[in-house]
Amino acid sequence: MNELKQICKDALSEKKARFIIGYKEDKNKRIKPFIAKTPEDAEQLTFNHHAVNNLAVYLPRFKNNVEGKIGIVVKSCDLKAVTALIQENQIKRDDLFIIGVNCSGVVLDIAKEFNKDNTQIKCKYCQAKTPPYYDALADESKDFEMPDDDQAELMAKIDKMTSDERLEFWNAEFEKCIKCYACRQVCPMCYCEKCIVEKSEPQWIDTSSTARGNFSWNIIRAFHMAGRCIGCHECERACPMGIPLTLLTRKMGMVASSEFGYRHGMSLTEPTLIGTYSTSDKEDFIK
Amino acid sequence: MEELIISIDNLKEIARELFNNDCRVIGTTAENKFKVIDDPEQLILNPNSVPTGSSFKEFFFPKTEPLFFYKQNNSSIDLIDPVIDKSRIVVIGAKPCDAAALPIISKVFNWDYKDDLFNTRNDNSLIIGMSCHYNDEFCFCNDVGGSPENRKGSDVFLKPLADNYFKAASVTPKGEAFIKEYQKYFEKDLGKNKPLVRKEENPNHFDYDKVKTWLDNNFENKFWDTAGEMCLGCAQCAFVCPTCHCFDIVDEQNGSCAGRRAKNWDACQFSLFTKHASGHNPRDNQEKRYRQRISHKFKYYNDKFDEILCTGCGRCSRGCPVSLDILQIVEEINSLSQKSNAI
Repeated sequence: MNELKQICKDALSEKKARFIIGYKEDKNKRIKPFIAKTPEDAEQLTFNHHAVNNLAVYLPRFKNNVEGKIGIVVKSCDLKAVTALIQENQIKRDDLFIIGVNCSGVVLDIAKEFNKDNTQIKCKYCQAKTPPYYDALADESKDFEMPDDDQAELMAKIDKMTSDERLEFWNAEFEKCIKCYACRQVCPMCYCEKCIVEKSEPQWIDTSSTARGNFSWNIIRAFHMAGRCIGCHECERACPMGIPLTLLTRKMGMVASSEFGYRHGMSLTEPTLIGTYSTSDKEDFIK
Repeated sequence: MEELIISIDNLKEIARELFNNDCRVIGTTAENKFKVIDDPEQLILNPNSVPTGSSFKEFFFPKTEPLFFYKQNNSSIDLIDPVIDKSRIVVIGAKPCDAAALPIISKVFNWDYKDDLFNTRNDNSLIIGMSCHYNDEFCFCNDVGGSPENRKGSDVFLKPLADNYFKAASVTPKGEAFIKEYQKYFEKDLGKNKPLVRKEENPNHFDYDKVKTWLDNNFENKFWDTAGEMCLGCAQCAFVCPTCHCFDIVDEQNGSCAGRRAKNWDACQFSLFTKHASGHNPRDNQEKRYRQRISHKFKYYNDKFDEILCTGCGRCSRGCPVSLDILQIVEEINSLSQKSNAI
């Protein structure tokens, strides 16, 4: 813990970063996002298994407001979002001071202790405890054996469904949606200044939380995540109604990987899948 | 009046009778969610449970509902009123922090325009409240005029006794009539079943009057620059809240010459909430929107309706994706008010 505090304190006092987006513990021992603006603030910065938030969601706020580098504390999963934002020209690598943390998994339910029954799905198939690149690295990890990836089983089950069964499955899930847009607001890749549901002339998507409105919203958001989701699972964590949104985004990520050999947020220089046309792109899915 | 008790089994029998009489029976089930109960065996009344993820306001003020339908016929347009569901709504086992919300939001729905949709449901409802034995770091009912025994908003109030019994008392004439209607299910209290008691009293966190005075005088204060700084601007807090009642009105086309005008939940944390047609937005950042959320709950609603727009249920804080905690924010205001008094 001291390592992270020291790195951040130094970065702020040496003006390597204007401020640092990190985590602090509140008086109820809950870990929450926090912006440290002074070396004294850095005393409050912390990291542990409860640091679930993907802080990259705050970066697009500073897109046009960069006077000095923005410090950000990232796990390896969160770094994919930072990389993706750089790939999509939302922020520049040179404007960031990245403080990587070695992470050995974060909780699913923030009100409970970290253990094998309380682990984020993404941690169960995480490939890298250490972020692939950073400006400073703090090691806060402890050895932990990951439980089985049970979401993969559910995905295999959904794959075997007929399209009618799948529609029934998703209709039942989307019926719960209350259009609070927590999925969108918490998503680092949902940075549009004007979301399609906010475009009212004409109104493309019903804003009402009816079967039609809920289905249109959730499917259009999924489409916009195709080949772009970096798999932080924040949408599902934020959903107050418990809709398993990452079943959609993870599946699309798997398709992007198997069909186009592309994974978003993995390289600072690779052109994006959706932003690139190649004559060798497969067309066999167009029917 | 003689004291009455009722067993959980008999409460379920009442639920069955109500269901068979086309009532909408709302209660909590094993997954601790309010829902329309079609099988009374699902009904669970647990005073130790955490408040449900969402309040039951959706059964009175739905997330979306039609105001009218329209249809174009050659040169004329037909307007069709929606059918208002007049069936009786009975909520069984509402926590005091849930039940108290209905009389609070009833004031805004009856302020100048009388909202028939809300009023019809509210008038046809009966709320069976129950003492609450739960308390966590997000609960603060007793700081906003409530308590775990508060009967506000309830028509009948239950207190849990040993062996799955409840002491039952009517709170309103409506509740009295209800007990009379189903009197065969109630028994005289012979004192055999000892009352279950809360483990400890809920702590007090802040002095509402001081918070209100501070809010009266600090619309501009640097506190607001950081209070809502990390807020992402979703509506989780507003939509799970029992008292948040803002709505938007939209027209939706369905087919080429038909559609409906609908009333949908809206929330002050959305950036579009106050955006004018001109493009100007008086609350153009999240800090201002967060100030509005706190001020509406703890100042404006009190100024206008003499009620605090918060029952202290803690739902918004438990569910916030960035762990913004409304109680901690109000506690900070409370301590700021003490500092400003000292000067």
